[in-house]
Parts: sequence; C-alpha cells; structure tokens
Amino acid sequence: MLQERARAVTPDSVEAFFEELASRGHEPLLRKATGSARFDVGDGKRTERWSVTIDKGDIRVSRKNASADCVVRADKASFERAVVGDLNLMAAVLRGEVVVQGDPRLLVVIQRLFPRPSGRRPRRKSSGSARKPK
Amino acid sequence: MSDGVVKILDGNTFVVSDSRGDIEASLTDPTGLFSFDTRFLSKWILSINGERMNPLSVDDLQYFETRFFLVPGTGTVYVDAKLSVIRRRAVSNGFHEELTILNHEDKAVDLTVRLDAACDFADLFEVKDALEKKGKYSARVEGGKLVLAYDRATFGRSTTISASKSARVDKKGLTFRIRVRPHDKWSTDLEVVTGRLGAGLARPGRENPKGSQRRMRRNLERWMDDAPRVECDWEPLKATYRRSLVDLAALRFSPLIAGGRSLPAAGLPWFMAMFGRDSILTSLQALPFTSELAATTLLALGDWQGVGLDDFRDEDPGRILHEMRYGEMTAFEERPHSPYYGSADATPLYVVLLDEYERWTGDRALVRALEVEARAALNWIDEYADLRGTGYVWYERRNRKTGLENQCWKDSWDSISFRDGRLPGFPRATCELQGYAYDAKLRGARLARLVWKDPAFADRLEKEAADLKRRFNRDFWVEDGEYFALALDPDGKQVDALASNNGHLLWSGIVDKSKSKAVARHLLGPRLFSGWGVRTLAEGEGRYNPIGYHVGTVWPFDNSFIAWGLRRYGFKEDAAVIAAGILDAAEFFDGRLPEAFGGYERTETMYPVQYPTACSPQAWSTGTPLLLLRTMLGLEPHGENLVVDAALPSAIGHLELLDIPGRWGRIDAFGRGRVDTKARRAP
Repeated sequence: MLQERARAVTPDSVEAFFEELASRGHEPLLRKATGSARFDVGDGKRTERWSVTIDKGDIRVSRKNASADCVVRADKASFERAVVGDLNLMAAVLRGEVVVQGDPRLLVVIQRLFPRPSGRRPRRKSSGSARKPK
Repeated sequence: MSDGVVKILDGNTFVVSDSRGDIEASLTDPTGLFSFDTRFLSKWILSINGERMNPLSVDDLQYFETRFFLVPGTGTVYVDAKLSVIRRRAVSNGFHEELTILNHEDKAVDLTVRLDAACDFADLFEVKDALEKKGKYSARVEGGKLVLAYDRATFGRSTTISASKSARVDKKGLTFRIRVRPHDKWSTDLEVVTGRLGAGLARPGRENPKGSQRRMRRNLERWMDDAPRVECDWEPLKATYRRSLVDLAALRFSPLIAGGRSLPAAGLPWFMAMFGRDSILTSLQALPFTSELAATTLLALGDWQGVGLDDFRDEDPGRILHEMRYGEMTAFEERPHSPYYGSADATPLYVVLLDEYERWTGDRALVRALEVEARAALNWIDEYADLRGTGYVWYERRNRKTGLENQCWKDSWDSISFRDGRLPGFPRATCELQGYAYDAKLRGARLARLVWKDPAFADRLEKEAADLKRRFNRDFWVEDGEYFALALDPDGKQVDALASNNGHLLWSGIVDKSKSKAVARHLLGPRLFSGWGVRTLAEGEGRYNPIGYHVGTVWPFDNSFIAWGLRRYGFKEDAAVIAAGILDAAEFFDGRLPEAFGGYERTETMYPVQYPTACSPQAWSTGTPLLLLRTMLGLEPHGENLVVDAALPSAIGHLELLDIPGRWGRIDAFGRGRVDTKARRAP
C-alpha cells in the first residue's frame, strides 16, 4: 500500500520514489491505464528525466529521454516535496508550479501513486454506544 | 438569479450577461465570462457614439448561443430606431461574438463603436464569498489584440480579445470608427479567448468558432433523437420532459480526464463542476433514458477515488470525491477542492450506481473494469467511515477550517437537529447514510457473485447487510413517533426530528417491512406532505421553517427518490401522489423544476413558492421528471427484460414512453392514469 505519511526530503528522495515505483511491477490502481509519462525535473542547471510506461497497470521506469503521451515538468525542489507527500500534485498543476503537457488523464492516475501529506487515520472511538437510550 | 440575466455555456465555460449582452460585474455580482472556475471577463460594454444599448429582444437559440436585438439609446420613453444592433454570441474556448449594425436611414452614418473590456480574474469562490485578490493585474496591446492578464507567482490567467475588422485597441477596449451607407450594414467578429498560462491544462487544439457551434448543434440533435419519446394526454408533462432533456444536455460537462465523454455537473452556473453526490444521483435518475452519464460518472469518479489519508482534503483510501475545482483558491490550497472528499454518501452511492447501471445495460465489462474501485468503496464503509466503531457510517471533518460540517446531502449548518431544535455534536450518523451502506453491500454482493466471481465476498457482504439492517431498525426507530430518527449523535442517542430522509430509507430497502407502512403514512401525512411534495423537515419540529434551506422546503430531487422508495415497498398509489404533486409544480416553472420550493401548504398558496437560489437549472432537479416517469410507469429491469407496472395519476390520462434503451435493445412502455391523486391528497 501507499505511504500515508509525509517524510523528510533527502538528496535521493526522487531517485528512491522512482525505484520504488519500478519495483511494484504491477499496480492494480493503474490497470485501466495505458500510456507513457515523462517527468522532467530540473534544478536550473540540469534536467533529470524519468520515463514511466504503463501497460494496463504494468509499470516500467527508465531514465531514457523518450517521447511520451504526457510530460510533467517541475523544478527539483517542488518535485522533491511531491514525492514525500508534502506537495499536492493537482493543486501544483493548477497554479503552474508543475506543468503538464499532453494527456491529463495519465497525470490523474499517476498522482494516485504519490504519497499523501498528513494521514491522520480516522480513529475509531469505542467510548460511545450506539444503543438506544433507555 | 436576477431578471434579465442571460446565460450560455459549453462544458464549464459560460457567459452570464444582462439582456443587452453587456457584462458589468463587481466582486459580488455574478455576471461575466467564466471558465475553469475563473472569471475571464468582468466588463464587456457596447456603446455607439457614447450611448449604451436598449434591449428589444433576446433570442436563446441554443444553450450555447444567443442573439441580442438592440437599439442605441437608453431612453425609456422613446427609442430611436434609425439603427439596429445585433449581437450573436456563442461560447467556445471563451466566446465568439458577431456584432452587426444596420443603418435604416436614407443617408450614410458615421459611428464610433466602442467595446469596453476589463477583467478581475476572480475565483468562483471569491465571487460567492467576496474576497480580495493577492496577485497582480496587467493589460497590454499586442499585435492588434488586447491581452488582459493576472499573475500570482507561477499562477497565470489571461484573456485575449481581437476583432476581424480594423480597430483602435487600447488597454481598456476596442474602438471602431465606421461609416455605414444608407440601408446597409456593418459587422465584425469579436473573439474572446481564455488562456491558462503554465497550467498546460488547456483543451488541445482550438476549433474555429463556427465549426464548434456546428458540432454542438449536431450533438444536441443527436442527444434529443437518442432519448425515449413521451406521448401522453397531458401536454405539460411532454413540455416538462422536453425541458428536462435540453437542460440535462446543457448540464453535461466533460472533465479533462473523460476523453470527451460527459457526466452531469451539479448546476448552472456555480456548480459546473464534478460533484460526487450530484453526478451519481443525477445519473441514477437518468438511467432509463441514457446510460452514458452513468458510465462516465463511474469512470471519472473512479480515477479520482481517494488512495491515502489527507486531512486537508478529508481524503481516505476508497473515498469518492465530493467536489473538484480549478480556480485560484484551489490552486493555492486556500480551498481544499483539488479534489475535496468530504462527502459520506458518495462512496456507497458509487456502488449503488454501478449495480443499477449493470441492471439496465448489461455492461459487465465496466463492472469488471471497476472491480478494484468498487471493492475499495465497500472497504471504506467499514474501515474509514465507522468513526465510532459501532457499525454505522459517521462523518466528522478533519479539515476544520474549510471542510464541510455536514457531509450528507442536507449540507447546511442547521439541517440535522433534534425535535426541540438542538444541534447534535460530531461525529454524526445520519439515517440515510446507513440505508445507502446497506444497499451498497447488497448490490456489491450481487456484482461479486455475478461478475467478480467471488461468492465468499458476496456472502460476507450479505451477512453484514443483514446485520446492519437488524441493528438499524432497532437503534434508529423512534418508538413513540413510529419513524426513523434523522441521525445518531456522538453518544449514540437518537436525533429524533422527523425528516424526509425516511423516504430515502425506503429507497435503500433497509426498512423492515413491518415498519414501512408507518413510514409511508408519515411521508404522505400532513406534517411532511405539503400537497406539492414531501418537506425536508416535518412541520412542528423545532427548526421547521417552510423557507428554510433543508428544514422545511420541498426538494424535487428528494421527492423523486422518495417516490422510488414508496414503489419499492409497494405503495404505488402514494408514489403517484408525490409524482403528481411535483409534476404539477413543474408546470408553474415552465417545466424547469427549481432546486427547492417553499414548504407552504398547497391549499394556502395555490402555487409553489420558489426558494431563491443561484443555480438553475440544477442537475438533480432536472433529473427529477425522468425518475418520476420511471416510478409512475413502474419500470424495473428484471434479468434481460424490462418489467412495466404502471400506477399513474388519473390527470395524466394515457402515457407512453417509447424506445427505452437497455440490455433488451429498445422497448416501449404504456400506462393509463387510474390513481385519483386529489382524493388521496385530501386530509
């Protein structure tokens, strides 16, 4: 299952995120999706690229600069926050902090693989009783 | 909305103007060109030789185009008709306006034609709540075009205005100095194009406006042709039906991810967005007429289904979204709608819609494709919604600042109350949520057995459903009133007001047969039934107010599901009484049912008093006549067949619904009105 808690950014957070993605092999959440997405992550000097291809949920990740159905561009600082659950991808896209070109549906399904920020699990309280008052 | 307001739209792009075609918005005034929840034009004023226009007539051609017939001069006594002006406007990616000026004189005229333009780039939330902007505005003239822009950090939105005829363009508009010969005309095409810089979310490609209008016209024709036909002796029903189909077409909305397919948005103009609850319930109402809305709704909501825990968005794994927005406040996380998940009913209703969709269409491929989503939704009910560990669905927002307090359809602050008017604490477990959860489990079990081939899961769900039903009928039943409590409070005590939610319980099937008669008696009884429909809250309750949003008004959509519930338990005459009341009311609104109307006694006011509201048409009000047709005719898929068991109000006379689409191909249904609803309505 997904990480449910934001973690601290480390120098290899982005690398680790894609490695973890590749290690999943098949992801049931994406089984309706087929297509390719490329992530261009720049720090002002150089751009690192990851290509993710999805074939009915089968995920492959490479470092090739391949053409893709959906290209996601972000600077490194933003993307690092996204991969640890500290930045919501959709809101970032809406404000132009992350730029998407091509098929937006792929971004919607891929954002499901990004961790969520805070994750307070709704606590089951057992103090109350659902019995009818007498 | 106020008088003289003209609305046209395409998807989530729409224009609201006055009857001259002018836009003069303020932060709180809801006119303008809107797209993706942002206002892209807040001023658009036509003048000729310094004079504003005077409207002669407005011709609503289609929901996406309109024509304004005008003459210069605002004089109320006398209109100088030497010139006529026609503005023909159609929505596309922005709007296209053909401006024509006709000279009726024997001599040439020299005119200064001016269009003043400006934009505040307000977020729809700001328009509703009147908030201040944080970014910077600019205006520039570029290649003969006027570009208005708004920037805040990486966020940028722009509007580009251009004309086909030569114009002097300045930062506040366009000026044409023209000469029109005797009995001749002059015309120009004006283009207003919206831009979303950086977001990369613009729809790919840009069609020319004429092509886009042709496409939309063809699309509407096909939509109307595909729908079943209604033949009946009662003319108003035919008109109401037609109105509903056209409005539903207008309310179709293509989310970016749906690949051009559409689902129903909630309402015009403020809710041209994806809403879990509204899209699901409207798709359910429309299923006997079109299954496309349901299929798209299921796919799009499935794509957005929650996967993790996010307190700001009230997101849980498996939860179906409440509302999705694209504006500035959402972008900067000043509002949680990217998307927001704070709805406790959309998730079980998602499974209900999936099953009902299969029963009508036989499309098992979609049920198979959505197995993971449906299982996650069913899992949410037990793992994330049971906040008290008591086996019920509860809600309490984790986003205490901008999240929703009431996460059921009655979402206003005072909708859930005790008889004496007190409000319960949180979390709350409203009764209809338990009904939806029960129905979702049973329907999920049917799909598990039939399509997912998992009989063990089906058995488990059925066992849980039976257990839920048993506990519910014990814990929610108000013994001395013989109805179900509106909710349980955090201590498990009954929130004991009598409300319309009881009707939804019949629809869900959670009500013990032995209790159903008492529930039906309440629904048609004097405290709940106004003569037009069932009130949201019964007369005599502490917070009852005939014009209170969820505490006394009559909601047409609510009544359509109540009628469906009454049918489910065999009270077909009572269902016909409700159908007759709501359809009678529709006649007073030219076939377009409002979101809600006053809960006054029918005999007192003689006509239904509309509740003032910003949204019209509204999706689930638009879907109401469709579901009422279904319940009156008693349409029910049974295996590969459609069963018809009509119980019609006698006023309707003869009714035919022809070419009903479904797994049987197309089929016709007939009925004759025999239920004397007036006699049954009498106290």
